[in-house]
Amino acid sequence: MSRLLDALRRRLGRPRKQGKAAMPAVRYATSPLLASRTPTWRVKFMIGAIGLGFAVLIGRAAYIQIIHTDFYLQQGASRYERRIELPASRGRILDRHGDLLASSVPVPSFWAAPKDMTASPTEVQALAQALGMTTAELNRRLASNPNFVWLKRKVEGDAVQAIRDLKLKGVGSVDEYKRIYPEGEAAAHIVGFTNIEDEGQEGIELAYQDLLSGQGGSRHVIKDRLGRTVEAVGAVVPATDGQNVRLSIDAKVQFNAFQRIRDAVAAHKAKAGSVVVLDAVTGEVLALANVPSYTPGDRHNLTGAQLRNRALTDTFEPGSTMKPLVAALALETGRVKPSTVISTYPGRLTIDGSTISDSHAHGDLTVEEVIQKSSNVGTAKMALQMQPREMWEMFTAVGLGQRPQLGFPGAVTGRLRPYKSWRRIEQVTMSYGYGLSASLLQLAHAYTVFARDGELIPLTLLKREDTLPAGVQAVRTSTNGLPAADGEPLPVHGVRVFSPGTAREVRHMLNMVTLPGGTAPKAQSPGYSVGGKTGTAHKQEGKGYAGNKYRAWFVGIAPISNPRIVVAVMVDEPSNGVYFGGDVAAPVFSQVVQQTLNRLGVLPDQEVKSQITASNVPAEVESF
Amino acid sequence: MARLNLLLGLVVIISGLWLVKSSHDARQLFVELERAQTESHNLQIEEERLQIDKRAQATLGRVEELAKQRLQMRGHGPEITHLVSSSASASAAGGAR
Repeated sequence: MSRLLDALRRRLGRPRKQGKAAMPAVRYATSPLLASRTPTWRVKFMIGAIGLGFAVLIGRAAYIQIIHTDFYLQQGASRYERRIELPASRGRILDRHGDLLASSVPVPSFWAAPKDMTASPTEVQALAQALGMTTAELNRRLASNPNFVWLKRKVEGDAVQAIRDLKLKGVGSVDEYKRIYPEGEAAAHIVGFTNIEDEGQEGIELAYQDLLSGQGGSRHVIKDRLGRTVEAVGAVVPATDGQNVRLSIDAKVQFNAFQRIRDAVAAHKAKAGSVVVLDAVTGEVLALANVPSYTPGDRHNLTGAQLRNRALTDTFEPGSTMKPLVAALALETGRVKPSTVISTYPGRLTIDGSTISDSHAHGDLTVEEVIQKSSNVGTAKMALQMQPREMWEMFTAVGLGQRPQLGFPGAVTGRLRPYKSWRRIEQVTMSYGYGLSASLLQLAHAYTVFARDGELIPLTLLKREDTLPAGVQAVRTSTNGLPAADGEPLPVHGVRVFSPGTAREVRHMLNMVTLPGGTAPKAQSPGYSVGGKTGTAHKQEGKGYAGNKYRAWFVGIAPISNPRIVVAVMVDEPSNGVYFGGDVAAPVFSQVVQQTLNRLGVLPDQEVKSQITASNVPAEVESF
Repeated sequence: MARLNLLLGLVVIISGLWLVKSSHDARQLFVELERAQTESHNLQIEEERLQIDKRAQATLGRVEELAKQRLQMRGHGPEITHLVSSSASASAAGGAR
C-alpha cells in the first residue's frame, strides 16, 4: 500500500513542474484521485454473485436439456407435429365365386364447429339445402353444441361438392367408410348390415365382425405453415385392413331363389316365405333367402318382420316332412320293408282316446305308398312299434333340437322334448311332425342324410377350400364312388345315421312323392329326377291350431339318382285359395332346382318329354 | 491465421446455406411423394367404388330385366334345350379312361 502512495505522489509532483508548458493529459486509469479503495470482500462478493448467476443458468439449462427434456420435446412436437390416423377398411364379403356381396368405400361426413362459424343467414340456408334439410332443422342442430356437431354423416353424390363449394369457415369433413351391398335385398338376410360406426349388426357382418373389422394405424408428420406435410417423424403404425370373408353362397343361386320365393309369396298372398339351398356334396349353404326382405343400404322404416331371417330363426312344427325319417328308422331297424303292407283303413286311428285321421281313407298301403300319399295313420302305425328312445335318438342324430353349427347369429335349436316325458299319443303325433319344432334350415340339414346315403354332413356358410395337393386329385372319389371329374366338389363326410341301403330306399319313396299318385307332382323339374316331401300344417295360435291359417313347405333332393342339392321351401300363410305344400311350395322347389342345377352344371338325368305329361296329373290330397 | 479463420467462416456459411437448401429440397420432394401417395390411395378408392358399381349394374336381377325388356329375350326351358358335349371334354374323358 505504501508503494502505491509513493507512486501517486511521484505522479502528482510531475505536473506541477511541467504544468505551465502544456495542458497536462489527465490519465484516468492511473489517476490516484479516481482510484478508490475497493474492499476485498466486495470483490469477492461480486465474483461469487456472478458465479452463482452462472451456476443457476447452467442448472436451469441442465434441467431443461437433460432432466425435464421430455416435456419440452413434447411441447415442441405438439406445435409442429401432427398425428394422422390411418383408417382401416372393413373386409369385403364375397360369394363363392368372388363376386362382391358387401364392400366399403370412404365417403365424407361433414361436421361443424358452430362457435367458429361466420356464415351469413343466406349461407346457412344454402348449406341446409345442400345437406337436404330445412334451415330450421340445421339451426337447431347447430345450436345443440357450440364445439362440435355432425351435420350429416356419409354424404354421397353431388351433395359433397355442393357443400365443399360453399367453403364455409367452421365446417369440415372426415372420411368414413360406408358399406355398400350390390346384391341388395336378395342377399340381405345372409349378409346382414353394419351400423353407422361400421360395426356388424346382423348376419355375416355380425358373425364375422372380428375378422372383417380392421385395426386402424397412425403416423406422425411435421406440417408447415400451409398445412402441407413436409416430413415424417418416427415409425409408421400401418393400418391392418379387415379380412375378406368368402361365403359358400352363390350370388346367382341366391338371387334366383329369392326371386322365386318372392313371386310365390306374392302369387299366394302369403305372409312370408323362405328358401334354403344346400350343396349335398360339400354341406355348403348355396342360398338362403327370405321374404319379406329389405335393402341393407337403406334401412328407413324397417320392421322386425322384414329383418327376421326366417329360415334360421323361425321354428315351426315340421309336419309330414318327418314321415320319411320315421319310415327310415322303421326300415333301418328291420321292422318293415318298403313293400310291407300297412292297413290304413278306415283312415282313422284312435290312441288313448285321441283320434288321428287321414284326409281320406286309403285302405292298404305299402310303406312306400304311405310316404308317397303322406298317410298319417300309416306313419302312426310304424311309430307305435318303436320305443320313444329310439325315435328321440334318431331325431337328435339328424339335428332336431340341436343348434345348427353355423356360427350364424340367431340360429335357433327348435324344440324336441326328452323322450321320458313322451306320452303314447305324443310319440304318434311326433311321427308326423306335431309336438316338435324345427327351423327350415334344420329340416334341409336333416334331409342330407337321405342325399348322402345315410350320413348327416356338417353345414357351413363359408366356402370350403379344396386343399388337396394337385397330384392327389386323381384319387378323389365322387359321391357315387366313381373317380371325381375335374371341378367336381370334394365330398365332406359326417356322422352316419342310416345305412346306405335305407337311404336309397327312402330316396325312392321321396321320388314317388313327385310322381303321379304322390302329393307333389308339381315338384318335378324337367330334365332332373327329384324327390322330396311335402308338408302342410295348421298354424299354432295361442294354445290351439288356427283353422284357416296354414304353413306349406317342401323339402327335397335333386337329382334323386345322384343327389347334388337339397332344397327346402316354406311359405307362411298362403291365403289365395290353395295352401297345400304340393301346390304352393313344390313349384318353387321345382324352379329353384332347375336353375340351381343348371348353374352348377349338373347334366340332366332324364328325358324331358316324359315329365311334361306327369306334372299335369292332379296331386294326391295330403293328410296333415 | 486470420485468413484461415476467414476461410473457415466462409465454409461454414456455405455449408449452412447448403443445408438449408437441401432440407428445403427434401421437404419439397416429400410433399410430392405425399401427394402421389394420396393420389394412389384415391385411385384405389375409386377402383373399389367402380368395382361395386360394376357389380351393382351386373346383378342377375338387372341383367334379366334388361334382357327381357330391352332385348326381348326369354329364358330357355329344358324343353327347348339340346345338350351337347364338347369334343374337347369328350376326348379328355376318353383320355382319362
